[in-house]
Amino acid sequence: MEYVNPLTGFRIDGRRPNEMRQIKGELGVVANADGSALFEMGNTRVIVAVYGPREVQNKSQQSNNQALVRCEYSMANFSTGDRTRRQKGDRRSTEISLVIRQTMEASILTHLMPRSEIDIFVQVLQADGGTRSACINAATLALADAGIPMRDIVTSCSAGYLCSTPLLDLNYVEDSAGGPDVTVGILSKMDKVTLLQMDAKLPMDIFENVMQLAIEGCKAIANYIREVLLENTKQLESRRGG
Amino acid sequence: MGAVSMVGGGDEGDDVVTPGELLGDSAHLVPGRGAYLAPNGRSVRASLTGTRRLVPPPPGSSDQRSVVEVVGLKAHGAVPQPGSIVVARVTKVMARIASADIMCVQSKAVREKFTGIIRQQDVRATEIDKVDMYQSFRPGDIVRALVLSLGDARAYYLSTAKNELGVVSAQSIAGGTMIPISWTEMQCPLTGQVEQRKVAKVD
Repeated sequence: MEYVNPLTGFRIDGRRPNEMRQIKGELGVVANADGSALFEMGNTRVIVAVYGPREVQNKSQQSNNQALVRCEYSMANFSTGDRTRRQKGDRRSTEISLVIRQTMEASILTHLMPRSEIDIFVQVLQADGGTRSACINAATLALADAGIPMRDIVTSCSAGYLCSTPLLDLNYVEDSAGGPDVTVGILSKMDKVTLLQMDAKLPMDIFENVMQLAIEGCKAIANYIREVLLENTKQLESRRGG
Repeated sequence: MGAVSMVGGGDEGDDVVTPGELLGDSAHLVPGRGAYLAPNGRSVRASLTGTRRLVPPPPGSSDQRSVVEVVGLKAHGAVPQPGSIVVARVTKVMARIASADIMCVQSKAVREKFTGIIRQQDVRATEIDKVDMYQSFRPGDIVRALVLSLGDARAYYLSTAKNELGVVSAQSIAGGTMIPISWTEMQCPLTGQVEQRKVAKVD
């Protein structure tokens, strides 16, 4: 199947190879949580609720000099094409939970909140490729909404290589094509990589190009996330009468 | 530093920052609340979303750098720190220990309660080995205490060994809110009965 039209250069959904899907972020969607966010990348929709810092539930895991970060990833039954009831602890969920936890833990200043716990609950409402990245972006917004101190804004984007072209932000159809899928997570202002994952194989020089493309996508998302946070702060200030 | 947008209705041009943004150089600024020193040791960056404020250095201090802090609009819930005054409700009173749920830290309510214990030797400053826990606290009392340390795995260590610390509000056996009459006694307004507590001196 031709994922990139050789004549026009368009992908199957009409995007150019270096074009990302439309992104949208919203803060404060879960009233009960300390911080929450909804993030959309094209048709992929993810909601994240953050609770914390609060007292550790499992005292044996408590740490005396830093906060414990816990993450739970789950996909809603209606999130994919066929409605299936997913097992809570299945391998993919555990892996993505671990990935999100490690990525966010690298950014949260855990030493400021010893003996406490920060819970990040991620729920995928609609899955159309790039769920991992959308989850990390939403988690960043939710943590900022909760007022949890972080080193930097963590953003993530995926890129692939199909029909000899590096493609930015794969959707589900492109992802299931069997080509390589590189997911990158960066600390935008500090220019550091916190997450780098790839499945399938790529020659080294092509990998560099694909990774660079993903990093540019991450930076674009970081600019958008920063605008969302600034806009949200202005709204809160004006409601307060500041 | 990239373009930073101004807050609408600008007051002195305090700008809104997001986590990771560069606030200044460590040669001129000391990171305060909401800011941190970057690993390279030279730049000070924001860790919260909020407005950037500069606090001038206290006069006569050796370090003449201003403190930069980021005032978040939705700060995260309070966490007890050693040396902070907390308000707790006593849950259990035993021979040598009283257990309490910490509800406020420095006049800020916590999102979820923390557990604290007051040991016999920390109830008061004098005659600490002759303290009777049951004559100092009862379950349900509201006490003002000082956090001594992070304590053990189960609870924070609290102390009421100061004049202004101790029972702030308590209910008598009859059910009325008691009035303090001395630093060891409280009286019920309904029955006139006097009960023993370690009372806090409230101004």
